[in-house]
Amino acid sequence: MWRKHWCLALAVAVALVLPLVGVAQLADLPRSETLIMSILTGRVGTPGNFNEWVGWKWRDRGMQNLANEPLWSIDFATGEIINGLAAGDPVYDSNFFHVEIPLREGVTWSDGTPFTADDVVFTVELLMDTPGFNNHAFFAENVELVYRIDDYRVGFDLKLANSRFHTTFLDRWGCTWIMPKHIFEDVEDPITFEFDPFIGCGPYKLHSYDPAGYWTVWEKRDDWANSPTGILYGEPKPTYIVLQAFANEGAKIIAQLTHQLDGVDLSAEGLKAALAQGDTVRAYQLSFPWVVNNDPAITGFIFNTAKAPYDNPDVRWALTLAIDIVEYAGQAVDGMGTLSPVHIPSLGSYPANFIKPMEDWLEAFTLDLGNGETFQPYDPDAPAGVVAYARSRGYIVSDDPEAQEQAFGLGWFKYAPEAAAKLLEKNRFSQDAEGNWLLPDGTPWRIEVVSRSDTSHLEFKNASAAVQQWKQFGIDAVHVPTDAAATLTQNGDFDIAGNWPAQEPWGAGPDLYRTLNAWNSTYVRPIGELTNGNHSRWSSPEMDEVLADLRATDPADTAATIALGIEGLKIAFTEMPGTPTFGYIGFVTWDEYYWANWPGAENSYIGPYAHWGTFKYMTPFLEPTGN
Amino acid sequence: MRFVRRYLLPRFIQYVLVIFLGITAVFFIPRFTPSDPVQRTIAELQSHGSYLDPGSIDEMVEDLREMYGLEGSMLEQYGAFWKRVFTGDFGVSFFQFPTPVMDLIRTSLPWTAGLLLWATLLSWIVGNLLGGLAGYYARSRWSRALDTVAMVVRPMPYYIFALSLLILFAYVVRLFPIAGGTDIGRRAAFNWKFIVDVLRHAFLPALSMIVLGVATTFQTMKLIVQNVNAEDFVQYAKLGGVKERRIVSRYVIRNAMLPQITNLALALGQILSGALITEIVFSYPGLGTLLFNAIVTGDYNLIMGITALSILAITSAILLIDLVYPLFDPRVRLM
Amino acid sequence: MRVLRDLFKDYRFAFSFTILCLLLILALLSAFSPYDPTFWWHATRDLRPSWTHFLGTNSKGQDVFWQATYAVRNSLIISVIAGTVSRVIAILVGMIAGYRGRLTDRVLMFVSDSFLVMPLFLIIVLLAMLVREHMNLVNLGLLLAFFGWAWDARVIRSQILSLREREFTQTAILSGTKTMRLVMKEYLPFATPLIFSTLINNMAWAIGMEITLAILGLSNMDIPTLGTMLQWAISYQALLLGWWWWLLTPIVLAIFLFVALYWLSVSISEYLDPRTRIQRVGAR
Repeated sequence: MWRKHWCLALAVAVALVLPLVGVAQLADLPRSETLIMSILTGRVGTPGNFNEWVGWKWRDRGMQNLANEPLWSIDFATGEIINGLAAGDPVYDSNFFHVEIPLREGVTWSDGTPFTADDVVFTVELLMDTPGFNNHAFFAENVELVYRIDDYRVGFDLKLANSRFHTTFLDRWGCTWIMPKHIFEDVEDPITFEFDPFIGCGPYKLHSYDPAGYWTVWEKRDDWANSPTGILYGEPKPTYIVLQAFANEGAKIIAQLTHQLDGVDLSAEGLKAALAQGDTVRAYQLSFPWVVNNDPAITGFIFNTAKAPYDNPDVRWALTLAIDIVEYAGQAVDGMGTLSPVHIPSLGSYPANFIKPMEDWLEAFTLDLGNGETFQPYDPDAPAGVVAYARSRGYIVSDDPEAQEQAFGLGWFKYAPEAAAKLLEKNRFSQDAEGNWLLPDGTPWRIEVVSRSDTSHLEFKNASAAVQQWKQFGIDAVHVPTDAAATLTQNGDFDIAGNWPAQEPWGAGPDLYRTLNAWNSTYVRPIGELTNGNHSRWSSPEMDEVLADLRATDPADTAATIALGIEGLKIAFTEMPGTPTFGYIGFVTWDEYYWANWPGAENSYIGPYAHWGTFKYMTPFLEPTGN
Repeated sequence: MRFVRRYLLPRFIQYVLVIFLGITAVFFIPRFTPSDPVQRTIAELQSHGSYLDPGSIDEMVEDLREMYGLEGSMLEQYGAFWKRVFTGDFGVSFFQFPTPVMDLIRTSLPWTAGLLLWATLLSWIVGNLLGGLAGYYARSRWSRALDTVAMVVRPMPYYIFALSLLILFAYVVRLFPIAGGTDIGRRAAFNWKFIVDVLRHAFLPALSMIVLGVATTFQTMKLIVQNVNAEDFVQYAKLGGVKERRIVSRYVIRNAMLPQITNLALALGQILSGALITEIVFSYPGLGTLLFNAIVTGDYNLIMGITALSILAITSAILLIDLVYPLFDPRVRLM
Repeated sequence: MRVLRDLFKDYRFAFSFTILCLLLILALLSAFSPYDPTFWWHATRDLRPSWTHFLGTNSKGQDVFWQATYAVRNSLIISVIAGTVSRVIAILVGMIAGYRGRLTDRVLMFVSDSFLVMPLFLIIVLLAMLVREHMNLVNLGLLLAFFGWAWDARVIRSQILSLREREFTQTAILSGTKTMRLVMKEYLPFATPLIFSTLINNMAWAIGMEITLAILGLSNMDIPTLGTMLQWAISYQALLLGWWWWLLTPIVLAIFLFVALYWLSVSISEYLDPRTRIQRVGAR
């Protein structure tokens, strides 16, 4: 009796489930004409709100990378600045109180309205007048007057002399965008205005979005030739582009392996898994180390220089020398990072412009260990150690010295625990019988290294590698990953943190102002208050002088800018408010099943990231494979 | 009247007090954690290398504090909060500024409610059915086999189970989609295509929850039924020659159901807490991830909104059980 | 000893007892580990199981077997602390509420219900964030204990309520037995099976909670527990990279632990309940 019931129940269950079976994820969009990429920043919390000028709106869901065109964009792959809505460089007057920006002609918004200087003027005026916008304070403090000179030229009168004022419109993963005047002028409350659909000058327009925030679909404009991308590079190839979010990395990898995701950002291990299992999957580099290593940021860790004993440069140097960088790089990123001894990453034009000219100075740099002893920490052979490590892991590394320099850097510091010990002892630190280090007051030295809790983030990797090195050295070091890391470091409630040791540079051009200005003494706040500059809270009068000089230098004067940049780097190097280890590495994989001609290392025509603004310039170059 | 005074009224007062206490606790605790929503917003804006001019950060902080309603002492904020709540306005989310909290909940709620409602009901029905029969025929082979299976399935860490399902049925054998609540590009409409789409995406998440739910309910029910089976009145009925079908349905199961109904009501009340791990593994939209992100970013209003609803749901479920129980269990009526 | 012998007749008790003994031995072995569990890179990475490394090594360069001993030890510590502390609270609250009745009962049940209703997960997450680096084993155990007593207090209370109506209570009171003595000597034996089974359930719940917290990245990842071991394996993509030894070890251990605990609780409570004991063991 029961048996019959069971069979019936089973049959019904199967009949119900069968129609549900099927993997395809695109509704009514032709897969061979659609490009699917993953969003870096995760699920969109405000799916129907595209008002980028207020708060955080997940601009990499297609807004900054497909539909919006900024005045200029940084492309760190080629080291160039791409003119978007601007027609060329800004023209400052000699005392930097006035600047003129030429604008591109022939551009229309995605709804057909022509783009003119009126849009720029309107945008700046609105931002200046309305509190609540992200950039309100900046424009209110800096701009006296903005006005149109003609349809395609706009002028600014500044309140403060600022030779880098225009960089607020320079897109490097975010900048001030231009609003379409014809839409925003009729809006009652621009702060809560949702700006749905998003109207921009980029080559793509909004098609649809998921109310739950997991995907956004963009469609190629019919009048793509009226966008700067079309004007500069031609017709974008994908008809539709989807930016999709996944809640866990396993799903991302599986999606790519089943050809449902063309480009994705993964973690180090995810990259290995994707490459191991996918036959049409490739990384940025075709061989070890596979990673995107021209991302303009330097990782490492920072010291809280407002808190003892990290206010002492000797202590900071000692902790730096206690690190065996080969082990460290192996532990953190399996040796895949490019080492840099200074506070900028070793990529693009930076080695040629900055690091190589500094090499003599670096090799001659001497630390005073006390008792008349000195020590020269710079080690140009450190990268060779990383190469040896990589080979011992079974990876194939080319012998070409240039390729090795590019992949692993020009040098780092020697692994010198004895020198570190001497530096510490010079400052009255001591060791107990078991080799554990004690503070000058005799209590055991305990370091808590704070970082964010995402295990794949480079902050986390740096922090845990550093902790392991210091434990071996004899310090009671512990890694504290926490979601409150941002708040803690901003408030100065930490010892050492896995934050980037220096503010990220532009990645193109010779100007290091962006990086050095983070150490401006006017931004430092006492512990307990939110600090505005670099969270190490370090500053020095010498650095302030360099900054003042830089501000008075035209960024077009390459030689002077570079010289001042080198001076700044030397000061930071001497004081070591944070230790640079290796450049930021991105783990990007591309599936070549549907789309090919990706900007890999061997064919680096544009920056490789889909979440950067330069992604829209990649779209005319991708080729459909015909599958 | 006596019933109302001795039974209903105290429970009702307790109901209100518990809600009040719960909401107050959830108001104050997040404000003591180190995650400051204003700093979190600034950190998010600055992340990925985006540049906020350091000179203007001070004023930005002021602006944000004002927009978020974080000015004034905690007690002042507390008072303002209660004034808003009675109009159903939980304020705006900080991290997803300026979207109102209720809008966010309204978007995610149908997904969570839909998935969890079906998963809970189905696992309860199937589990009780199987458990009841297995408990009654406790000596039989299939009953013990099922018991062992349930025994092994139940302690499996849910995350691994769900992830294995995903890999098995979305990768190894490609039957179901990998992520999301619907297909990409699908616009919500009440047509057949949309419904099938939603069911397709919900199948694996629901399956993962149902299998574990069934295992748990099965074992509980089996135990209860076994105990009831051993009771004197059931033995007497058997000896007295009452038809087996009647014994099973009117004697055994009816008595075993009481605690199970309590459990069902409680489980239904828990729906609004969301299923965080399910949503993470299957990238399924819902309240779980919304709440978790809110906690991590210190989004006080959103935390309060979701949690208040969750507390309301659970206490109401308990109150309902207390009110309805006397109808089912005559013994309580006599108290 | 006769008790033990009777218990062993139940195959579930025999199985679970053996498993728990083995796990305990594993946990005790951690004292002999040649490696410090918080140090990484003391062995070559990603080695398959071999004679030098019984369960292979993981991607952090640690020996999986010795990590597992620490993991079992720590998970057991957390669950034992959580279980026993919450028992103590539950017993106290349940007994006092059940016996005293009236206002005390109402107030205590009100407090207990508030705990039941509180979005447990939210508060644990918030507190975990608050406590961060002080989140060691004991604190986590106490945190879980703090939230695990509410349901069981109610269950114990209803048991006490029914006992209070029995004859022997009246007899005891009439003969002048003090409250405390009554509760301890007379009620406790009745409540023991209940307490014991809820203890085991609570322990299992604590371990499950610990695993969930680890997966969400909220516990101290440096301390090896079943949860953190699992989370490390997941975040290093052990599943897709095929390092089954690293992934399966915490899973299999967790499953065995849960099954053992569950079977233990079921068999002991069946034993203590006179009706079912006779069914199991046979009439005497």
